[in-house]
Amino acid sequence: MMPLNVRIGFFLALRALRRASPWTTSLIIFVMILTFLNLVVISGILVGLLQGAINAARTKYTSDVIVSSLNDKQYIENSQNIIALIETLPEVEAITPRYREGGILEANYKTRKETDKPNTAVAQVIGIHPLRENTVTGVGADIIEGSFLREGDYDMVVLGHYLVKKYIPIESPAFTSLENISIGTKIRLKVGDVMREVTVKGIIKTKVDDVSLSAFMVDSQFRSMIGRNDGNVDEIAIKLKEGVDPIGVKNALILRGVAKEARVQTYEDAQPQFLKDIIATFRMLGNVFSSLGLVVATTMIFIVIFINALTRRKYIGILKGIGISGRAVEFSYVFQSIFYAVIGSAAGLALVYGFLVPYFLAHPIDFPFSDGILVAPVEQTFFRVGLLVVSTIVAGYVPAWMIIRKNTLDSILGRN
Amino acid sequence: MIETKQLVKTFRSGSVVTPVLKGIDFRARAGEWVAIMGRSGAGKSTFLYQMSLLDDPTGGEIRIDGENAHAMSANEKMLFRLFRFGFVFQDYALLPELTALENVALPLLMADLGKGEAYARSTAALGRAGLGARLNNLPSELSGGEQQRVSIVRAVAHEPKILFADEPTANLDNDSARRIMEIFTELHRAGQTIIMVTHEMEYAKLAERIVHIDDGLIVSEERR
Repeated sequence: MMPLNVRIGFFLALRALRRASPWTTSLIIFVMILTFLNLVVISGILVGLLQGAINAARTKYTSDVIVSSLNDKQYIENSQNIIALIETLPEVEAITPRYREGGILEANYKTRKETDKPNTAVAQVIGIHPLRENTVTGVGADIIEGSFLREGDYDMVVLGHYLVKKYIPIESPAFTSLENISIGTKIRLKVGDVMREVTVKGIIKTKVDDVSLSAFMVDSQFRSMIGRNDGNVDEIAIKLKEGVDPIGVKNALILRGVAKEARVQTYEDAQPQFLKDIIATFRMLGNVFSSLGLVVATTMIFIVIFINALTRRKYIGILKGIGISGRAVEFSYVFQSIFYAVIGSAAGLALVYGFLVPYFLAHPIDFPFSDGILVAPVEQTFFRVGLLVVSTIVAGYVPAWMIIRKNTLDSILGRN
Repeated sequence: MIETKQLVKTFRSGSVVTPVLKGIDFRARAGEWVAIMGRSGAGKSTFLYQMSLLDDPTGGEIRIDGENAHAMSANEKMLFRLFRFGFVFQDYALLPELTALENVALPLLMADLGKGEAYARSTAALGRAGLGARLNNLPSELSGGEQQRVSIVRAVAHEPKILFADEPTANLDNDSARRIMEIFTELHRAGQTIIMVTHEMEYAKLAERIVHIDDGLIVSEERR
């Protein structure tokens, strides 16, 4: 059974809330909802911008786990054995082995005069099996001009949109792209000492640099360009079945000795360090904003409860005058504060998980480097709910305590 | 039952010191009805507040059933007000968000009576005061007379040893005031000790004893 002061506090709080002005109650709850959103959404969107980039890299390039060549090796040795091993894992849904080499693309070389500057762009050239690549990354759906590669395509390339000037009109000596090209344009592709004339079949646009700065061609043809006929590839992107933990699969591959011949990374490991640093910074910024929001909310509740207690000072005095303990009155204000915090947080939770998270998933914020989503991990959100409730309890208790400790008669008579 | 010796109350505002009670000796026995009268500012309400432990005197002594109030902690005074005193305020002092029934039941609940018993006792007491049909009305839905009756019922529902009343008819019309005084008379007949501050001689005469205060001192007493 609850202690007497708690019971009386609950009795008073319940009636105070039930008979309070609906406008006042709604206003306080509205402010609590805004505070909750401030706590969760601001940092959630900041982190979500980067999470969107990570998600895009995962979806469009690395997939869930990526196996790539060791730093001191040109390619993954014993690739075929590793591919066979990966395909035996029950967690794996599909894989796409890739060949990668740096290359130079040149356009307008037929019309260029001797004195003209060559129209070139540096690119990663990636040899893929179109069907397998599309199964894993679905990049075929990101074609904005022309069409994606097919298995029998010969001397055809698909270009990332950063390689095409009309999509990225940047004038910089450090960044070159191809001018005056469209679907069907013939360009020259040079990989190592081998040069080929290829036709632009499609242009692909994603927010993942590994795709946007690459030229794709069919793997069988690319192999002949780089002179690699031993079946060894440069990387293998692995798509896992729904719900499978990439870390588990990474560990399984390492356990089976893959790490001796290749680097095994989850999509998170494969993110560049600067991106991880930015995420950490954004998280910290989000926490700073959230803390400020929490201070504002606490102050607001303090002011609301203080004004409430001040205007009800006479009644607090009467309560004490008729023998109701100060502690019971304090509990009544604490319960009222809990009510506002819990209802505000509950409405905020419903708004975040029922509307905002699905909305931003369906309609991401279009940033140049990512499709920003709202990241609101449940455990972090509930931690913030806890913070909000605790700070609201403090903000409700302190002003009540301040008023209650005043002289009973002074409170009743309104004397200072 | 309740006794004051050389009771002094002084108010201080900055360097200005205002003595309101200047050494009052007073005694009321169990079951007695005492009316305290005096002109405005004479100190009668202040005297009542000291006796009912709503305020702390500057000097002197208050003894209740032999216990020295000066030695009591704030919590003990609160328990005294809860269990042994009842107080009727001039402006009724009902809690606006509680119904008539809840206003009366609240001190009983604080006295750790079960909700059922507290509500049953409150309902019966309000019924006896002619408020049986107004149990679930908020104070704002009651007339001044009804509010004061609820206030009296609240003050006596826990059967206090002493009922203090500070000008209980001051804000009421004649009919309501007479009805309140009838209740006081009934309570007194039932053995209730009452100490009441009033301006109205007509109602003071209902008491057994009238104490006149002026300039912070008892200047005369008349027994009836």
